[in-house]
Amino acid sequence: MKVVTGVVGNDIHVVANRLIDLSLQARGYEVFNLGVNTHLEEFFDAAVETGADALVISSLNGEAEGWGREVRLLKANYKTLDDLVMMIGGNLVVGSGNTEDIVARYKNYGFDLVCHQVDLNTGLDSLAAFLEERSQS
Amino acid sequence: MSLLQEEREIILSNEYVDAFDFAEATEFVTNASKDLFISHHFKNKSRMLVQPRGGFPTYRQQYALYESFVDANVDVLPLTIDSNTRLNDYATAKKMLRLSEENDMDMLNGYPLVTHGYRTTRKMITHFNKPVSLRHGTPDARLLIETAIASGIFEIEGGPITYLLPYSKNFPLDKALLYWKYVERVCANYSRLNMPINRESFGPLTATLVPPAITIVIQLLEMLLSLEEGVESFSVSFAQQGSMNQDIVTGAVLRKLAKHYAAEIDCADAAIQLVYHQWMGAFPSKQDFAEQLINLSTVIASMVGADKIITKTREEATGIPTKEANAKTVADTQYCLGILNGLPTIVDEQEEEILTLEVQAVMEAVFNDPADTLWRKVFNSIKNGIIDVPFSPHIINQNAMITIRDASRNIRIIERGNVPIPERSYDYERAQCDLSKDTTSIVNNIIRDIGIMQ
Repeated sequence: MKVVTGVVGNDIHVVANRLIDLSLQARGYEVFNLGVNTHLEEFFDAAVETGADALVISSLNGEAEGWGREVRLLKANYKTLDDLVMMIGGNLVVGSGNTEDIVARYKNYGFDLVCHQVDLNTGLDSLAAFLEERSQS
Repeated sequence: MSLLQEEREIILSNEYVDAFDFAEATEFVTNASKDLFISHHFKNKSRMLVQPRGGFPTYRQQYALYESFVDANVDVLPLTIDSNTRLNDYATAKKMLRLSEENDMDMLNGYPLVTHGYRTTRKMITHFNKPVSLRHGTPDARLLIETAIASGIFEIEGGPITYLLPYSKNFPLDKALLYWKYVERVCANYSRLNMPINRESFGPLTATLVPPAITIVIQLLEMLLSLEEGVESFSVSFAQQGSMNQDIVTGAVLRKLAKHYAAEIDCADAAIQLVYHQWMGAFPSKQDFAEQLINLSTVIASMVGADKIITKTREEATGIPTKEANAKTVADTQYCLGILNGLPTIVDEQEEEILTLEVQAVMEAVFNDPADTLWRKVFNSIKNGIIDVPFSPHIINQNAMITIRDASRNIRIIERGNVPIPERSYDYERAQCDLSKDTTSIVNNIIRDIGIMQ
């Protein structure tokens, strides 16, 4: 399984990004890490280039929502990304907010998996379960 | 006209600079009070100098901050620069300064020095007549340091590696190395007029599980890059690492090797100082605990025998500190230093030897790079991963080295990547750690190891 990962937007918080990379590798994924400060187009270009199964986006500074809104619009420009599993995690709002509302909003933006302030391994377990379920259906 | 002077005139003919007068700046530095030079204080000091951090957008706020610091018995004043100026975006800095002045609200996270200009800033600095240290994070600091020196700021922090790898994703490293060459030359030239301009490297790097070998190698290389351009006074630095013993060992090895490598390039006469940063990682949000941590840092700095300590505040976990909190740390740190007497001398020969072997091996690998100049060797070594900084966001960084803490909270290298850590040291480092765990538990340990002070 191939996974593209990175931190979206103008967000330089690198620690979690490095840990996500290590953890994904430990779980046997082939990882393409775009690092911090990555724009959506770069994520989608990398997904096309690598033939990724999943895109795992992270964000810490809370500004992901501004970028998330444009996911459907941008992704529609690509012809081969319909099966790409879209996951986002980290701290997904500026300030605080109700997790249920946040998850619903991001699902509406086009994400299959939304992990707002969820422990890293719990989040990656949910990715594994999602991919497993989809391969059986 | 020399090539350097031609470049200076281009850099200073900038729409954001109000008619830079080279002759007047030269005359100012020539006749400046010795008290403004930290190199003068280092030479004559009886104990560790205390320097806080701090920068506010407006002149009035910065002046008030300096007043609080002076009341708290500060030794060295800081001038921390805002993020727009750091990224050479002077237009935004100018706009945000106006908004800050008009609305009584801080729209910048530091002092926009280029926007204020040297004529204005110099008034404040000569008024307080204390040494000022420039704190920034700028890969291209050419205009900034010209403005700083003309303002009376005679200590310049940073360097091409330490101000790039922790702060930037894709600013080109080779450009940073050349822009910093300009900085070193300008500092060296001004140093001939009066007392030396002091350069200081930024040892904390990413402040996230950086092993001492990497910290020391980068300190030594930035020192050599500076001395070879003619700088006469240089401070190497590092930040509290989490284990008192490891800090003492790091300080001893860094000091010893800095002298050794300076002598190797015939710069044995250069003044080399050691600077210690209070804990630079994630701080406890409880302010009373933060003060305990700050106090502990001061004790360790004394054990290390640092020449200067750079302080944090009880408000570190919440954001940019108020001037009151900032001044309080200065007063508390001075008090702590005053009562710290009769400290024992601790020497851990085994750890010193292990660390020295590591540093020497990496330095040798850098010197053995086939490139013709040191800056190119440094560039190649970072690109090849001979130097690898844990948790750097920069695309050139290898990210192959993995470090964790052992039972005594020493930072240990468990995966060396391409860094030529000698077998004996590598075996020793790994032997201190429990390597039987799977990667998931190691990742959990890393998360814990980063947050040890919280």
